[in-house]
Parts: sequence; C-alpha cells; structure tokens
Amino acid sequence: MRALPGKASRQPPGPEPVSRDAAAADQRRRILEATAELIAEQGYQETTIETIVRRAKVGYATFYKHYPDKEAAFLALLDAAIERTCARVEDAYRREEGPWPDKVGAALGVLFEDVAAHPSAAHAVLVEAVAAGPEAAARHEAALKRLAPLLRPGRELNPRQARLPETLEETLAGGVVWVLSQRLIGGETAKLRAMLPETIEFVLRPYVGEDEAAREAGEVASELSA
Amino acid sequence: MPSEELGPLPAGRHGFSREQVAHHQRERLIAGLASAVAAKGYAAVTLADITREAKVSRRVFYANFESKEQCFLAAFEVVVGHVGELVGEAVAGVEEWPRRAIAATRAVLSFLAAEPDLARLLLVESRGAGPAVGTRFSAAVHELTPLLEQGRGERPPGERPLPASTEETVLGSLVSLLHRKVASGEAAQLEDLLPDCVEFVLSPYLGSDEAARLARAAAKV
Repeated sequence: MRALPGKASRQPPGPEPVSRDAAAADQRRRILEATAELIAEQGYQETTIETIVRRAKVGYATFYKHYPDKEAAFLALLDAAIERTCARVEDAYRREEGPWPDKVGAALGVLFEDVAAHPSAAHAVLVEAVAAGPEAAARHEAALKRLAPLLRPGRELNPRQARLPETLEETLAGGVVWVLSQRLIGGETAKLRAMLPETIEFVLRPYVGEDEAAREAGEVASELSA
Repeated sequence: MPSEELGPLPAGRHGFSREQVAHHQRERLIAGLASAVAAKGYAAVTLADITREAKVSRRVFYANFESKEQCFLAAFEVVVGHVGELVGEAVAGVEEWPRRAIAATRAVLSFLAAEPDLARLLLVESRGAGPAVGTRFSAAVHELTPLLEQGRGERPPGERPLPASTEETVLGSLVSLLHRKVASGEAAQLEDLLPDCVEFVLSPYLGSDEAARLARAAAKV
C-alpha cells in the first residue's frame, strides 16, 4: 500500500529515534498548520480547539501543553508566518544588486510567491488578523510597518521628494495587502502571478514616474513568461 | 442615521399597519445592533444585547433575522447605502472628473469623521463579521470603480492605457489606510488626510504634479 504523503513526511528520516524536542516541534507545526487551514476555511470565530486537534491529529493535552488557548495558537501562527515572509522579502530586497526599482520588483515577487505557496498562513496574516482582536491586529500592523519602509528610498529618485504625502508608503503597502487579500478571499491565488507586474507598476509609479514604472513592470512580465 | 431617528414606538394604539410596524421593528433591530457593536465590538455582542437596545423580544428578532451575522449584514447595508447616497449627492451636477473625484473623497472622509461609531462598523467590525459580510465589503468597494474609471478619459490620447487593476489598487489602498486610521481610533482626524487621499486618487490619471496641485487646492476649500 502506498504511504500517505502527509504521513510519510512525518516519519524520522533515519533509523535514529526522534528526539523529544523534535517531536514537540513537529506537534507545534501540525497544530499551527491545522489552525491556519481551518481559519482560512471557516474564519477565526468559527474555528474551535476541537476542530484544530482533530485536524492536527493530536490530543487535547498536547494542544494545551503548547498553547493555553486558541488565540495563543493563532498568535504563534501569525508570528511564524510574518517572520518567515518578512525575512524572505527583506532578503530579496537586499540581495538584488540592481537599482531601487529592481529591488522593489524582487521584494514584491517574493511576497507574491510566498502568499501563493502558503495561502492558509497568508490568509491568517492578511485577512483574519485584522478582525481577530487587538493582539492579532497589532501583528498585522507591525508586519505592514516593517515592510513599507522598503519603499522610502524611492523618494530620493523623485524630483518632488519633499512634497510626496507622508502617508504614501503605508497607503501603497495597504494597496498591496488589499490585492493579496482579495485574491485569498476569492480563492484565486493562481491569479497572483499575472497580477505581479501591474502591482509593481502601481507601487513604483509615485516615485519614478509612469514610464519608468511601466518599463520595470514590463521587464518583470517578460521574466515571468520566460 | 437610524440610531438617531428611531425612538421607541409610542405605547398604545398607534394606527400603523402591520407592515409598517414590522418594518419599524427591523429598523430598530438594526439600530440596536449598531449601538451594541459600538459599545462592545461585534464579537462580544449577544442577541440579548441587540434586543435590549432595540426594545423588542427575541421572537421579533428571529422573525426578522436568522442570526447575528444576518442582522449585522443588514446594518452594514444601511451604512453602505448611506455613504453611497452621500457620494451621489456630492458628485451630482459636477461635470469635471477631477472635481467629482475630489467631492466623493471629501464626502466619504467627512462622513467617517462625523460618525466614528458607524465608521468603525463599516471598516473595522465588518472584517470580523463572517464571510458573507466580507464578500459584501469587497463588492461595496468595487461599486466605486466607475467613478474612478471616468478618470481614464483625462489621459492624453495615444498614451498607453493604465493597468486594468489600477482602480482596484487605488481603492484598496485608500480602504486599507482608512481602516487602519479608524481601527486606531483616529477617525475624527480623517479629514486631515483629504490632500493625501486626493493626490493618491488623482495621480494615476492626471500625473503626480497636477494631482498634487489639485490636492493642495482641495485642502484650502
């Protein structure tokens, strides 16, 4: 009989027994994955610890060993997802050696890729966190405030730099969040790839002007279709 | 707004038809939900809170709505409808597109600043009120698309067309910004954001220099 893919990946790779730490980490991973999936499917309010433990295939005692309540699991999930995605986006920005528009293009490319690859976690961060209490909303806000400043150096490329609205970066970041969350709500993450060039153009335009923004978007579009 | 217009029904014989009373009860439940949500947030509101605020029985609630979510959806529709009317009035008779866009932006910001509880219901509480409200929220934002799309006509002929998602991204950016300001309790200061919002809305269509000029002028009115 063919092993179930989920089960196979949970087996230890070698003959050595799984250490206690590794087993605990695996439990937490399963709990958080189940939490993310259920919240994406039915919303934060409707998700219960009962459905989480059933989906994660762990007992109640295991759940409570790691998290005191549903909110704690949700917040741990947000922290892990935000840290992973933000670190990858910042890394892509830093490693791109081209001019600033290329750096933003690379960063947004990784962000879109990450959302498409982990839609349940992205749904938790971008859609549910906004409405699941002040702690969760603060994490959503902090993630936005962490990435929005990557746009700020674009002001140096703009002849009107001193006069650009102070709210520009957070407004643009909010627009990107909107585009991503609408695709997540509609279950249309497959469309994200196609929307990347337009979104890059939208974000760059206020800084480098329409022509340069369109040129950068065109480059990204041809890389995507290559 | 309903919360101000609706007092309790006078006691005794009132001469309203059954339909009128039923309609009135529905409005009172909607207003009751709005007050309860303003007081403690959607998640914490119970049916008892709503019926207490509305001064009607539980039976009357269930005669009108299946659930708290459905009642919220009705309240959300009332607020969306009201904002839609305000925008409609603001742009009525205004011909030039930039002035229409500025008038609409101003109308939305003034409403949110004047009605912080309803601003919160519309932009913040709606996010946690279930998938049906979420879908309706997206649709309500989408309804503003034609107002922006008219701006495409302002671009010089022969210029390459703006990306198809321009309106969605512009509206989404503003909704996110307003949502965050209202969530952090800054609704009353939203009118200060008028120039920033106007510049943001006009820029893709008119270019950033002209948009900034009109934004400064709008701030002085």
